[in-house]
Amino acid sequence: MKNMDLCRHTDTVNELLARYGVKFGIYKNNEFHEQLFPFDAVPRVIDKEEFAYLEKGLKQRVMALNCFIRDIYGEKQIVRDHVVPEEFIFASSGYLAQCEGVLPPKGIYAHIAGIDLVQGKNDEWYILEDNLRVPSGASYPMIARDLCRKSSPSTFKEYHIEDNRNYAQLLRNTMDYVNTGGHTVILTPGRYNAAYFEHSYLAEKTGAHLVTGNQLIVENDYLYFIDYSGKKERVGAVYRRISDEYLDPMNFKEESLIGIPHIYDIFRKGNVALLNAPGNGVADDKGIYYFVPKMIRYYLDEEPILQNAPTYLPFYEQDMAYVLEHFDHLVLKDVAEAGGYGVVFGDKMTKEEKENFIGLLKKEPRRFIAQEIIDFKDIDILDQGQWVPRKADLRAFVLMGEEPVVWKSGLTRFSRNPDSFIVNSSQGGGFKDTWVLSQ
Amino acid sequence: MKELHFEYSMKLEFETPVEKHRFTLKCVPRSDKRQKILDLNIDVYPKEFLSTDEDSFGNQCIYGYSEGFHDHFSVSLSGRALCGLSSCEDDAKEARIGLFRYQSEYTKPGPEITAFTNSIQVEDTASDLDRAIHYMKALYGRFSYVPRVTTINTTAEEAFAGGCGVCQDYSHILLSMCRMRQIPCRYVVGMLMGEGESHAWVEICQNGVWIPLDPTNNLIVEDQHIKISSGRDYKDCLVNQGIFMGQTLQRQKVYVLVREERM
Repeated sequence: MKNMDLCRHTDTVNELLARYGVKFGIYKNNEFHEQLFPFDAVPRVIDKEEFAYLEKGLKQRVMALNCFIRDIYGEKQIVRDHVVPEEFIFASSGYLAQCEGVLPPKGIYAHIAGIDLVQGKNDEWYILEDNLRVPSGASYPMIARDLCRKSSPSTFKEYHIEDNRNYAQLLRNTMDYVNTGGHTVILTPGRYNAAYFEHSYLAEKTGAHLVTGNQLIVENDYLYFIDYSGKKERVGAVYRRISDEYLDPMNFKEESLIGIPHIYDIFRKGNVALLNAPGNGVADDKGIYYFVPKMIRYYLDEEPILQNAPTYLPFYEQDMAYVLEHFDHLVLKDVAEAGGYGVVFGDKMTKEEKENFIGLLKKEPRRFIAQEIIDFKDIDILDQGQWVPRKADLRAFVLMGEEPVVWKSGLTRFSRNPDSFIVNSSQGGGFKDTWVLSQ
Repeated sequence: MKELHFEYSMKLEFETPVEKHRFTLKCVPRSDKRQKILDLNIDVYPKEFLSTDEDSFGNQCIYGYSEGFHDHFSVSLSGRALCGLSSCEDDAKEARIGLFRYQSEYTKPGPEITAFTNSIQVEDTASDLDRAIHYMKALYGRFSYVPRVTTINTTAEEAFAGGCGVCQDYSHILLSMCRMRQIPCRYVVGMLMGEGESHAWVEICQNGVWIPLDPTNNLIVEDQHIKISSGRDYKDCLVNQGIFMGQTLQRQKVYVLVREERM
């Protein structure tokens, strides 16, 4: 693979990505900056059998998560049966009381799930995180693959790779499956959003309208899109890339200017589909992550195929004792934070920091989870012509329609810093294409 | 048991006309075990695009949109209600009780409420309702009714630290205290016999039913209260919520009258 023709085209691909505007925005000190997302030409390669195994495990996981969300906003049997403690639901910031008793079209909550995995040195895959709100990232490997094929056609003759450019079709099927009648739109907060490139790219590729909140209006219990000439057309599905809180000022944060007033009220009546459904945050909370294997057993009566990273909940006394005893070998995560923030390593703290942290942990045990540090399997990147190993994860995309479908690719993010375990793009990482071999 | 005649009116006047006005009204009382609504007239202005539904807390909502310019917005309702049919409200939906056991935005206790609640001695064997009544009595002795010192944004802790407030504050503080002890309880908006503004009180869940307490008046609700809506706190029970386009000053007038029907 080191002689692969594609590797000679890394710069070309990066230049093309820049020209196509493949960027993400970062707010720092109240200023908006756009950054390129550095692309590394060495792909992550997953062979056919291994992917089939991942596929099975991911489908199972997302099925269980959907069951969980439906149960939580309905009868809450999993709470009644003492599998998940009540406080992990009601005290979670992702739980929205406004969603109680609301059943989305076709009963689907998590239409597009981004599941983060890592591979350990023992070749075992572990789930790191489930992203069920507005997971982003699929557009990067989509466009990168397209540009790679143009830059080095021979590489794609030599290797037998599943074509990942079908993501748009899979997404379109998912949106059409729940559409309640009318147009399909992708709702973006606007061009200052971190993932604006993705919103526009997915709209272009799926044939959906790219809209902002002021182009949509609720009238007589239905949602309408106002086109350039002022004509109103009914909308049946909204792939919204706005978080729950800002979606509808009449139901969530009242100061939101990017949302659509009363959209949630007509969603409750079943007159429009929202992808993903509001309230999903209750299932991708880091505290709830611990319970996902239990959910799989509870709802599906199956053994989990994919494992969680070994996780402890200081909420349970027994786990707290373990965490205090093995503090230096663990990574601690604040359940309310995302994007690589709120993550601390036990062995990297000073004595004082550690004491303060343990004090906080004892005061608010529900706020944290602790995990064993997984010895990631490094994957190679090309750094100024040299092959060097770096930490990387994989975000797999599962789309829920009549049946769950796993996209035969994914976003592989890597840390450019050799000493860092944190691969989030908001922390300066790069990305790779993910090849799933077709034979 | 009483048969009550009620009138509720709210008028919002805009100094300069506004447009694109969206609103949600939660002002419609409904029948339950404790009260029976005998007749009900509702009038909303402006009334283009009105629709109705029930929210996740079981409250009746009226949604509306008015595109054109208007210089006022008003809602008035009147009717008769048979009150005090039972000492408790409807049976609680089992799956949703837990929702009311945790502190919400307005009720999070700070050091003052925490210390006060901890200072009240209640026997361990006391039922949730008895405990709540104990708390209500203690609060009544400690907190004074003074209008216009708190606002609609005042939290339980802020109000308690100030020592005085109105029915909204009494209710939030009692909710905060009960939730410190994991007692499921909710905020109620409604009307009380007499003339004036709308009223707020709380409901405590015990043995699967909701029992209303009025902390402002230090009493167990019987047949003088007409319930309109309930939720975790004030925010879930906004009688009128709206957004519109226009730069204007607005003045709100609320008038409530509840009197006993001569049988």
